[in-house]
Amino acid sequence: MRELLVSLLRSEPAQGQRTKGTSVFWILSGTASGLLLMGWLLPWFVNAYSAGVGYSAQDVTVSPPTGVGTVLIYILAVTMVVLVVSPLAEVLVPRLRGRRFGRTADRIRLIAALAGLALTAVIWLLVSVIQEEPLFGSMGPGTFTDSAVWLTMYGYALAALVYGARPWVVGRQTLAFGVAVLPFGLFLPLMFHQAPDFLLWAAGSLAIYMLLALGLNVVVGFAGLLDLGYAAFFAIGAYACASFASPIHSIHLPLWVLIFVGAAIASTFGAILGAPTLRLRGDYLAIVTLGFGEIIPDLATNNVFNLTGGPNGISGIDQPKWGFLDFGASPRWYYWSLLLVSIAVVVLFRNIERSRVGRAWVALREDEVAAASTGINTTTTKLLAFAIGASVSGLAGAFYGSLVSIVSPDDFSFSVSIAVLSIIVLGGIGNIVGVILGSFILTFVIFWVLPNMNQWSTTLSQTVHVPALANIDFTSYTYIIYGIALILMMLLRPGGLLPSRARRIELESTVEGESLAAVQGVA
Amino acid sequence: MSEQSGTPAAPPASFGGADRSGSAMLVDQSGLGSRQARKGGVVSTVGPIFRAANGWVSRYFASLLVIMIVLAIALTGVQHGASLMGEQIKNALVLGAIYALVAIGYTMVYGIIELINFAHGDVFTASGFYAVFIASVLHLDSLATGSFGGLLLALAIVFPLSMLAAGITGVVIEFVAYRRLRDAPRLAPLITAIGVSFLIEGILLVFEGPDNVTTHQASWINGQAFAIGGVSIGYTDLFVVGMALLLMFALGTFVRRTRLGKAMRSTAQDRTAALLCGININRTISATFFIGSALAAAAAIIYSINYGVLKWNIGFHLGIIAFTAAVLGGIGNIVGAGVGGFLIGMIYVFGGSIFGGEWSESLIFAVLVLILTFRPVGLFGVEVTTRA
Repeated sequence: MRELLVSLLRSEPAQGQRTKGTSVFWILSGTASGLLLMGWLLPWFVNAYSAGVGYSAQDVTVSPPTGVGTVLIYILAVTMVVLVVSPLAEVLVPRLRGRRFGRTADRIRLIAALAGLALTAVIWLLVSVIQEEPLFGSMGPGTFTDSAVWLTMYGYALAALVYGARPWVVGRQTLAFGVAVLPFGLFLPLMFHQAPDFLLWAAGSLAIYMLLALGLNVVVGFAGLLDLGYAAFFAIGAYACASFASPIHSIHLPLWVLIFVGAAIASTFGAILGAPTLRLRGDYLAIVTLGFGEIIPDLATNNVFNLTGGPNGISGIDQPKWGFLDFGASPRWYYWSLLLVSIAVVVLFRNIERSRVGRAWVALREDEVAAASTGINTTTTKLLAFAIGASVSGLAGAFYGSLVSIVSPDDFSFSVSIAVLSIIVLGGIGNIVGVILGSFILTFVIFWVLPNMNQWSTTLSQTVHVPALANIDFTSYTYIIYGIALILMMLLRPGGLLPSRARRIELESTVEGESLAAVQGVA
Repeated sequence: MSEQSGTPAAPPASFGGADRSGSAMLVDQSGLGSRQARKGGVVSTVGPIFRAANGWVSRYFASLLVIMIVLAIALTGVQHGASLMGEQIKNALVLGAIYALVAIGYTMVYGIIELINFAHGDVFTASGFYAVFIASVLHLDSLATGSFGGLLLALAIVFPLSMLAAGITGVVIEFVAYRRLRDAPRLAPLITAIGVSFLIEGILLVFEGPDNVTTHQASWINGQAFAIGGVSIGYTDLFVVGMALLLMFALGTFVRRTRLGKAMRSTAQDRTAALLCGININRTISATFFIGSALAAAAAIIYSINYGVLKWNIGFHLGIIAFTAAVLGGIGNIVGAGVGGFLIGMIYVFGGSIFGGEWSESLIFAVLVLILTFRPVGLFGVEVTTRA
């Protein structure tokens, strides 16, 4: 146990990580231009999104940055960002490591980050005091307009803080941090302004899916055990939260206790499920976990022991309120908490991946007999993977229950397990950064592109006078998208978009061990 | 003491192709070993007990299961009377026939390429919709409900056509999604199979809508054939079970007697050796998929004739249940899949009548977990006679 805790908290550098050389110039200028472009495109994004999910244009109006001062602030923000994302360059460009981007650079970045924060505060004050139309356009701290500017300011100030504090927090986990934090930064200004709740919802569900994917990645990616019933642990966490923080049993525990309760219960179930299946081979394990994943929602539907509220589920789940932190008033506090939890989970999993336990998982995944013969306790190692993977799912479940305030068995169907699996397959099995990327892509497609396609096709049908277009419900294409994503990724890029190196070698074993493949499985 | 003590050591050769590589062992040998017993006090006492129980349960699994089913039937008879019991036995047989046909598809594919073809259940659904489509395009409904000769003609049209279409679907799935991954790590084709399953479900959802679809075939075969002690046996029931048995018999003969059947058996045993003997592996595997999917199509027509509804996602749960049947009978074993299908039908129906219908599926999944935990080689274990 102690060893596990230590391995969670102590970071070890990746061994022999090789990356392709890319010009630092391209990275920096690419980032800068991307951010600039995004600043102007984001208002369109927000508007289109609101249209897609059924908000009328009056509810949300976002305009691109206007006014000389605004543009200046924006360029300043981008410069700051470029300074801050230099750790990304450091990771991507190995020959720069330890030279220009060394420890001194870390200190410079921290100073830059703090200065950026201070600067942000000053500008924020200035804008709220001056409010001059020609200088700042329509921008003001209390409005949602010109969010792009604030977005970059706040978002990357936070990123800068994390980067700057990096050497003191963890070792070399820059890229994971970058990917974990940067996109969150996109949503960050929404916390301060009158962001429409649906965006916060989207960010919240994104974070929950990300947590789920990170947890499943431990089981499938690190330990190589295909778990098709992962939604069951999600359900367990959510129902734990619902049972202990709702009128149904008249128990009201605070959320921060419940996320640990949910995680603990889920990991216990993970170990319970893991124990009898330890001897099973991969595909049998998959089908057993699938069965388990179907039983748990069934138990909830059938209202076993009158605990779960039957098919209607449990409603009226408490939303925490600590002083001004009123979770019920706006999802923004969930978003904040989820952001912190996600960062913590990324750090912990990154650590455990490179720890003794993580290496044991990899060994187990590659060859179980060989792993056992080198002294790895396969039983505890497998159970640990199940338990740790399940615990994050339970934690996400507790958040989910509290966020949506109602849980019902339908929320935890097989398609949730497959959605999470698609995320990690898409992003890169076994690679934390890839998994984060995958969760962004897939939730973007499912929660943004598909709802918008309905809107777009309606508009298009009016333009080209094809009424059939308007009737297509693109949200029902979700299954097709999961299916195609799984098939295409496995056929064309089995390692995922960002493959982990070990995994890539394993999945493309025909390249690596041609003769071996020829001997083992001809045709 | 070996952790395998109870399990009758199944020689790998008794499983289709299971001995091709070390990683393909059905049960890995490094699980609940003595290492675990060394670890802590609690485990060291639980471990041996578990192993002993495991060995005992494993050895008498078949008898235990049959005893439980008989008890469940008797209990139903005592609780609800003999006529309902008879009715339920009839239902179980009808359901079991469908499961058996679908299970054969799973077991054949697993036997030959060691892949759980998750898409099989959805091929079932899709072929049900093929049949509905064929019937509506050719206006078979009026033909089938008109006269007895017309009914036979309609069945003779809809069965081969749907089975052909389903078989082609199966072959296409294998060609597109599985063939290239045949030598890839096991996880890859498994994930692709799930992808295909979701793809088919998604396509059906888009084209057939999220609600139940009524199949007019429900009215094709009507009427009561005879009654045994208050249980009315309809022509439909006779047709369903008879057709299933006929197809299984035909398949058994095919696998045993024909050249292609022989090729399938040898490919399942050892793909490399089969290749060396000049067997066209790709064609054999395609044929396996064709036959499995065609049987699923037959099951789907039987299903829609009997129950009268189809839905885009029925194949998913039905597929898992049928897979349970295949595992119960010993995966890779065609006769086992047939028997397993009927047993699972019994468990489904009588479990439902004892615990309540809403628990039927959970019960099946629990049975699946129990089989895989205690007796992963299936009921017949070593005494496997016919394989494909």
